Amino acid sequence: MRLLPEDLKQASDLELARLARGGDESAFAEIMRRYGPRVFRVASRFFRQRAQVEEAAQEVFLKAFTQLPSYEGRGSLEGWLTRIATNTCLNMLRGMKRRPELTASELTEDESAWLEAKMAGAAEERHRAEERGRVAADLAERVLGMMSPDDRLVLTLVDGEDTPVKEVAEMTGWSESKVKVQAFRARRRMREAVEKLLAFSGRDADRI
Amino acid sequence: MKQEHVTAILDDTPLGQLGEGELAAVRAHAAGCDECRRAYDAALVASSLLRERAAEELEPSPFFQTRVLAALRERRAVEETPPLLRLWRTAGALVSSMAATVALLAGLTFVVPSVQTTTETTDEVAAASDPFSVDAAMLAQDNAADEEINYEQVLTTIYESDGGNE
Repeated sequence: MRLLPEDLKQASDLELARLARGGDESAFAEIMRRYGPRVFRVASRFFRQRAQVEEAAQEVFLKAFTQLPSYEGRGSLEGWLTRIATNTCLNMLRGMKRRPELTASELTEDESAWLEAKMAGAAEERHRAEERGRVAADLAERVLGMMSPDDRLVLTLVDGEDTPVKEVAEMTGWSESKVKVQAFRARRRMREAVEKLLAFSGRDADRI
Repeated sequence: MKQEHVTAILDDTPLGQLGEGELAAVRAHAAGCDECRRAYDAALVASSLLRERAAEELEPSPFFQTRVLAALRERRAVEETPPLLRLWRTAGALVSSMAATVALLAGLTFVVPSVQTTTETTDEVAAASDPFSVDAAMLAQDNAADEEINYEQVLTTIYESDGGNE
């Protein structure tokens, strides 16, 4: 039995999943409407270009549709989709080439200025907030591009978004201790990469 | 804490999640230790970078759902096609192109030479059937021209040979 669009909005996740499993596209569209932003959020932790994020999100929903028969409603649909999204993006990223080491000479003028201002504690005076955020996000992406997909995942979730270790473990299917160890190593690798950038660009504390 | 480096603390916990006491201890140690000060500065920058990156938001475009549903239909259509038909669809183009190539080669081998022979004789046949046609007139002219040349050539040959004798 198909539900009217208004009824679909009121339907529970489990009901939507049941209808979608039976081939009801409207029910599946409602699932996408509800959890599209969540899936996009996960995908945008791994990819920055809109086209890549959309491609990843599309793949997540196509996989989700295929795997719907395995969803038994024991956990939340959002959690189930988040897990599919995390693993799909992780696999996509693993198939891509990693950026070689980023050196200070490769930094853009804005990125160098951001680092300089950040270390001088005067970033607020140098750029408007929006622009400052963009430059920092650009630089973050370049630094994260050197990291392994697993490092990138834990850094963005645990350090960038304060996601609890337990939640990251649920998203990835890893044990909590694996998440902690991965985060410890990833944090050190990122810190060392940034330290090199600061040292080579002559913007470490000695110069300020 | 004064004697111990603080890099392990920096690696163990995100900077933003360190308590006030821990942070104060890290700062105190970093103030007197170059290595840890560099590590602390880098951790500070790394933390800012990650937070700025995490703050970026990307919403699905209005056409996202439509695109996914279209891709879904396409995928289902492929999956619902019987395997043999799918194989034929995949290999069909190859088989058809091979058959076309064979037919073309056969045509080039057996048909084209006879077409050339036919083309050569067609004009003569047409001319014979209609003696007043343009083709017939041109053929007659060609034959006449051939005969005149032949006759002149004969005469020239005779005169030259006579002159030579005299």
